[in-house]
Formats: sequence, C-alpha cells, structure tokens
Amino acid sequence: MTSPDILLYDRVVRITRVYLGPAADRFIARQVQNHLQKEPQALSSEDLGRLIDWIRVAVSLLTEDNDIVEEYTTQLRELAKPSRQAS
Amino acid sequence: MSRPSNAMGYYIILSIVFLLLAAVLPANQQASQLYHLSNSQYHLLFFLVILPLMLLSFLAIYGYVKLQNYANSIDKTPEGHDFKLLANGCRWLAWGLLVPAVVEIILNSIANVHPGFHAAAIVGTNYLYLVVPLVAFSLISNGSHGLLSRTKQQLSISNTKSLILVLVLIGVAYCFLIFRHYIGNSLGSTNNPFHLPLWLMLITMVIPYLYAWFVGLLAVYEIVLFSKQSRGVLYQQALQLVAYGLVIVIAGSIALQYVGSIVPSTGHLVLNTSLAATYVIRLVAVAGYILIARGAIRLKKIEEV
Repeated sequence: MTSPDILLYDRVVRITRVYLGPAADRFIARQVQNHLQKEPQALSSEDLGRLIDWIRVAVSLLTEDNDIVEEYTTQLRELAKPSRQAS
Repeated sequence: MSRPSNAMGYYIILSIVFLLLAAVLPANQQASQLYHLSNSQYHLLFFLVILPLMLLSFLAIYGYVKLQNYANSIDKTPEGHDFKLLANGCRWLAWGLLVPAVVEIILNSIANVHPGFHAAAIVGTNYLYLVVPLVAFSLISNGSHGLLSRTKQQLSISNTKSLILVLVLIGVAYCFLIFRHYIGNSLGSTNNPFHLPLWLMLITMVIPYLYAWFVGLLAVYEIVLFSKQSRGVLYQQALQLVAYGLVIVIAGSIALQYVGSIVPSTGHLVLNTSLAATYVIRLVAVAGYILIARGAIRLKKIEEV
C-alpha cells in the first residue's frame, strides 16, 4: 500500500461526496469490498477502471438522471490520468 | 411498539380491537337522538368515521417504519443517532393518531354507562392527546438539532425572530379561542367544555401545547436548514423528501392539535366542520408521511447498493 494509492481512495471519496454526501465513504468502501474483494485503503490505480464500472451500475440504481451518472464517472476517470495521480 | 418489523403487526391488532370496540360498545344515546339513528345505524356511521382514520394511521406507520429502517441502517454512523430520534418522534406521532382514539372510545363508552365519569373521560382524553406532541416534538427537535450541529450551522437572528412572531400569533389566537369557553365562569369553575378550572387549563394544557408547538416549529426550521446545507446531490434530493415530509407532518400535527383543543370534545360522535377539518388535516399530514417514506427508501438504497 503506497502513499499515492491511499490518496487515490481519499480522492475517490472526495469526488463521491459531491453526489452522496456523508454516505460517500461507506458507499466507496462497500464497492471496493464487495466487488473488488479488497480493503478500501488497498485501492490502487489498477483497480480504478473496474471500480468506476461498478460505481456506474450502483449510481444508475439511485438515479435516472444520466447526466449525473456521466458527470460523476467522468470525474472519477480524471483520477486515472497520470498528471492528476502524481499531484 | 418500537421495532419496525413488529409495527404492522401491532397496527393490525390495534385496528381489530378498534373495530370490535366500535361494533360492540353501546351506542351513545345523545348522538343517536341528535341524528335520529337506530342502534345499527349509529354503529355503521361510527365505522364510516373511523375507517379513514385507520387508513391514515396505516400510511403514517408505514412512513415512520421506513424512516426507522433507514436510521437502523446507519446506526453506527455519526448521524445515525439523530435519525433514530427523528424516527422515534414520527413513531409517536403515527401511533398518536390511533392509540388515543382507541382509548377515547373506551373512556367515552364507560361514560355512556356511568354519566358521572363523563368529565373524567373528557379530561383524560385531552391529556392523552397532549402527551403525544410533547414527547414526539421533543424527540424530533433533539434529532434535528443534532443533525444541524454537524453542519456547524446556526439559526439566524432574523429567522429566529420570525419563528417567535409565528408562535406569538398562534399562541395568542389559541388563548383567545380557549378562553372564550370560560366567559361568564369564575376562575375555579369546572362548568366548561374542558371540565377544568381556567388556572389548571392554563398551566397543564395551554402552556404545554404552546411549548410543544414551539419545539415543533423550531425542529421544522432546523430540519429544512440541515437538508439545504447537506452535501451530495443524490443524498440531498432524498434528504429533502424526508425533511419536507417532516415539515408537513409536524405542521399537520400542530394544526390537528389546534383544532382538536379549541373545539372541545363532547364525548360522543359529532358530525360537524371540526370533524371534517381534522380529516382534511390528517390527509395532508399523511402526504407528509408518504414523502418521508419515499425519502427514507431512497436514503436506505444509497446505503445498500
């Protein structure tokens, strides 16, 4: 578990908070544990693609507003870009 | 009656008891003569009056159960305790529609057979109806205050002043409508529709009701403020359904108590505008419970997917 990967989990939660508020941390922890079979803090950049796919499915169950789903997953994809990850 | 899973079971039992009592207990002679009803016609009319109340109670219980389910699902989170308080307050309001009505029918039936018990039945019923908002609004207020304190928001002075003004208006009008029943009586006389001397009515009924309503209105304000300050687009959408549902439920509950206490209970079935008004208000309040249920279902879904 490297420092940037810990930051990655926190950044995923931070983005999620814009959509799910105080439930964000629990939501992401659940997605990582249930679908990636990992501890949330062990989330790495390699897992991000699969995690975003699962998040898309989960959020689609919460809202019919596709714009929100798109906006949310686009922001998460930004995290996969090298320049962002290094910051 | 605390576990959500048991709530519907208790509701069914209580409804059956209510229906049986309505069918078995003797008809009130005063009401029968007033509306020229036979014994069976009286019971049929009574059924028609209580059936909407039972349906509305069912929806109210459904609403609080959904909120309690959500509160249980976030039990270990910081806001879990506050949502439990909100759900418990709603539980008191929901059961407060049905339980006092069942007790009232029993007390009034005893008074039908023993006229000397009439005053005690009226006083007892009035106090029973008072306990519900006192407990419910205190619980809801504790919950709403706890939630708002997490957002580090405080009530603004101007809004607090507006709230005080609303309460003063409600309070003065309430006192006027209560005291007009005492015109011509001495302070200690119980010869009035409430069967209480004015001083006792003031201390044990008027002041507690005004206190409960102020606590309820304050809770309404805090809940709306909390829902507006919360982060998360999807979370906020669901939370606002719960918040506005609570606003309608509390406002409806206050209106119901207002009408119920300014139009004194007679102890028997009376078909008047007051009865119609209480059903309209109950219908509005139940719309609030439906909003609460919808919001709570969405909030719980966020915790499940």
